[in-house]
Amino acid sequence: MRNRESSVVFKVIMYIVLVLLAIMSLAPFWIMLMNATRSTYEIQQHAISFLPSTYLKSNLQILLGKSFNPLVGFKNSLIISVFATGLSVYFSTLTAYALVVYDWKLKRPFFRFIMGIMMIPAQVTTIGFYQMVYKVHMTNNLLMLILPAIAAPSMVFFMRQYMYPSLSMEIIQSARIDGAKEFYIFNKIALPIMKPAIATQAIFSFVNSWNNLFMPLILLTDQKNYTMPIMVSLLRGDIYKTEYGSIYLGLLLTVLPLIIVYLLLSKYIIAGVALGSVKG
Amino acid sequence: MKKRVISLLLCSAMVATMFAGCGGSDNGGAANAGGTEAAGGNAATDEGKKSDPATTINLYSFTDEVPKMVEKYIEEHPDFGYTVNTTIVSTTDGAYQPALDQALQSGGADAPDMYCAEAAFVLKYTQGDASGFAAPYKDLGIDVDAKIKEAEIAQYSVDIGTNGNGDVVGLGYQATGGAFIYRRSIAKDVFGTDDPEVIGEKIGAGSGSWDKFFAAADELKAKDYAIVSGDGDMWHAIENSSDKGWIVDNKLTIDPKREAFLDISKKLTDEGYSNITQDWQDAWFADMKDAGAKKVFGFFGPAWLINYTLAPNCGGEKVGEGTYGDWAVCPSPIGFFWGGTWILANTNSDKKEAVGKLIEWITLDCTEDGLQYKWANGTLYGEGGTKDSVASGTVMKMSNGELEFLGGQNMFDAFVPANQYANGKNLTQFDETINQKWRDQVRSYAAGEKDRDAALKDFKQDVKDNLSVEVE
Amino acid sequence: MGKKKNSYAKWGYIFSIPFVAAFLVFSLYPILYTAVIGFTDLQGLFQNEVHILADPLKNFKDVLTAPTFQTALKNTVIIWIANFIPQILLALLLAAWFTSTRHKIKGEGFFKVVFYMPNIITAATIAILFKAMFDYPMSPANDVVMTLGLADGPINFLINKNVSRAIVAFIQFWMWYGYTMIILISGILGISPEIFEAAEVDGANGWQTFFMITLPNIKTILLFTLVTSVIGGLNMFDIPKLFMLGGPDNATLTTNVFIYNQAFSGSYMYNKAAAASMIMFVIILIISAIMFFFLRDKDEEEAYKIEKARIKKFKAEQKALKKAGKEV
Repeated sequence: MRNRESSVVFKVIMYIVLVLLAIMSLAPFWIMLMNATRSTYEIQQHAISFLPSTYLKSNLQILLGKSFNPLVGFKNSLIISVFATGLSVYFSTLTAYALVVYDWKLKRPFFRFIMGIMMIPAQVTTIGFYQMVYKVHMTNNLLMLILPAIAAPSMVFFMRQYMYPSLSMEIIQSARIDGAKEFYIFNKIALPIMKPAIATQAIFSFVNSWNNLFMPLILLTDQKNYTMPIMVSLLRGDIYKTEYGSIYLGLLLTVLPLIIVYLLLSKYIIAGVALGSVKG
Repeated sequence: MKKRVISLLLCSAMVATMFAGCGGSDNGGAANAGGTEAAGGNAATDEGKKSDPATTINLYSFTDEVPKMVEKYIEEHPDFGYTVNTTIVSTTDGAYQPALDQALQSGGADAPDMYCAEAAFVLKYTQGDASGFAAPYKDLGIDVDAKIKEAEIAQYSVDIGTNGNGDVVGLGYQATGGAFIYRRSIAKDVFGTDDPEVIGEKIGAGSGSWDKFFAAADELKAKDYAIVSGDGDMWHAIENSSDKGWIVDNKLTIDPKREAFLDISKKLTDEGYSNITQDWQDAWFADMKDAGAKKVFGFFGPAWLINYTLAPNCGGEKVGEGTYGDWAVCPSPIGFFWGGTWILANTNSDKKEAVGKLIEWITLDCTEDGLQYKWANGTLYGEGGTKDSVASGTVMKMSNGELEFLGGQNMFDAFVPANQYANGKNLTQFDETINQKWRDQVRSYAAGEKDRDAALKDFKQDVKDNLSVEVE
Repeated sequence: MGKKKNSYAKWGYIFSIPFVAAFLVFSLYPILYTAVIGFTDLQGLFQNEVHILADPLKNFKDVLTAPTFQTALKNTVIIWIANFIPQILLALLLAAWFTSTRHKIKGEGFFKVVFYMPNIITAATIAILFKAMFDYPMSPANDVVMTLGLADGPINFLINKNVSRAIVAFIQFWMWYGYTMIILISGILGISPEIFEAAEVDGANGWQTFFMITLPNIKTILLFTLVTSVIGGLNMFDIPKLFMLGGPDNATLTTNVFIYNQAFSGSYMYNKAAAASMIMFVIILIISAIMFFFLRDKDEEEAYKIEKARIKKFKAEQKALKKAGKEV
């Protein structure tokens, strides 16, 4: 009896916490949505409102009038984010696989090396990076924002940590006995086992890459190459006559694709896919 | 099962919002199809000409204002023979200067031929570290000295655009000399009249001192009005009135007039002369339509503040609505300027003559065909556009600056002298950073968070640790 | 047999090639650049000749003795601790709730998905919204204060150093607890269900299961969380920079904002920025090494040994099998 009571109390508390956190997490999206329908004037009077207004259309017109071309932005952002995410997820898993499955002399130094470069503060290496890109005249080349994703130390670290307990050597050995090649084993056996980890990391990587601003801003100077965040940044650029309503609309358009991708990949988070293979 | 239903619901709700969003943008897309197409057309011509870099001018800017002017010029001068390739990087995220600097340094066909600099950092490009890239206007085929005289360009603007050798390398199209923009109804209530000359007298216009201004603040306070919204409103006037800039011979210098801002800010707070707002924050905007704690008498600012900030925030769109039409302009106690864009040309450009034509049309042409005449009268994009004060006094004299927003007052009457009072000689290339640190400390002191000496000491330390400037 | 083992080791190198190649091409130069210019006089934009300083450590000494850097370091640590401890505790709690087999949570998927959402919005937007929320004299926070009659007039929250720090810490907490939760859940799901079943059979209650089974079994993922959080936390940049520009009175100035200011706020002191970066690198390295020492070494060493033994045993079995096969 008592036990049941305390369990009810526990449940009530739990749901209160969960609902509060959910409200806290969704509130900014609601505010963004509302502000996208409000005029600059209304936003300047009260930056936060939970009720909509009627300026969505005029905000959109301002947005499109200000050399804001959502289709171009979507396309460029999508190219960069999809390829950067794909490359970093695939090659990080591959590198982690090398670190977990094989026994090679430089394995441990290599892992320490990856850990080391992971810890270098990003702020100043960015300076070196963009100077390098300018020196070799590779600005306005989307590849400069995609290819570096192949070496993603923190993702390698995560994949390795995840792979250690979940990938059993027996499976690999038995596949080898069946005559499978190493690349085949990685692609057909290891990758599927790593799916939940890949999905989570893919979400993080996609979000990061999509929201990345500073580097694209410096490297992509041609309007044809602008990403969504660059376009929003341009909207904010004119501080003397900022159109806040259209900025929020721009931000909303920027975040929508992220939400779609997130919901697509969140299958693994919602369903709580248990690891598919034998555990050690 | 239930779990699945809920997540399905969530998904469909999300999808619904998305479609709503997409639907909206579809409509807009259709409505704007013309515009989009035009943009596409431009892009196509850009590409077409790109094959011939010899006739492409690279333009770097931080807003689309100058690029649009250049487009207009090309449209009106079909025989110009050049196309423009524009790069716009906004300043808000701190990337404009790194991008521009790298592009200048790297050179080659992509290097900017023409670039814009904002008041906050223009000194770096005209007199500071990057001044080596700025071509003197006379090398662009502009008879600059004669033209400046003819157009009556405000001295502060010329001073800022003049490099160490005495050559003019940058000028603007706007003039951003500041005045005091006040409320007519409050003036009548407190001082019995809204005549700009009398009110100017009341606040000590042109007197070079703040004594009368604070006397007026007392009178306003007696009737429960605030004279300004926050200390930020007064800062630009105080900053610009000092005899010395922040840095003299690479040493941090706190001019006594700037140091006095500590006391002025404290006084505003302690005496209740302001609503203690911060510029560009919600409460500041609210004060423009009487939605703040106390009604605010006025704001310090240039013409753009009227057009871009006060008018859209006054709570109405025609006389009688909100505070629209209830404003007037009189000279400030101390002359100052605030903001502005300067246009420069790259010394390494091989299209100097063409760039010179563009720059001359924008900054020095004082005929009715020049940019400034259209800018001053709001006719650049057709009749009825926003009127703005421009760099050329000559143009303003032949233009009509009457605004309904100002109760029919001709704003140029106040802004032509304002541009002459402004001082362009106490700027340094580090002002943006130092001002931010200074105002941060002043705020802390005024709010009673720390004492005066600590504020000064922390300010000096902060500058010392962040800039390569000597500090005592 | 020995030959065969070598042929597998080869694949370790081959699979690492893409990472190494991308690193060499894109990251090596920037990193070396940073490491080297900390010892030089490289300042300003257009300096073409760069010299090693007479006292190569001068930049490092300057940075370490600068009171502003010390303030920044202190702020960074305070803000990191204030956000990380509640964040990891909440994330652990949520992860335990969501993976518990004892009680089903209604709308579990919804909650899991929603908790990560704050991380999707760009930092700039979040900074603007929070600033508007606590503005003076008019803001939602002040509306609450006035409605509840908590103060005579509106409160200027953001002029107070501790309040500003607390808000930055809260934003960090709020942005990242969902992320941490997801990582931890993926770690817990990696634990074999049999272990939990065994615990249940043994009559362990929820708390016991959590502390005796869950925590020890997600050690590797926990280590990942801790180390990446140290790195992320000590490199905190976006929110402090965008929220109050490091103010008021440097209360939210973090070391990375300090580094950024050295490089970009006017003087282009790349050398000092690089020196400060290297100092932070060393600090992060030391803290991470300590965490590795406590959380991994014994464990992984053992796992390593066990695995080796397992492989050995497996091979021996194979051998035996083969032998048996031959004999038959």
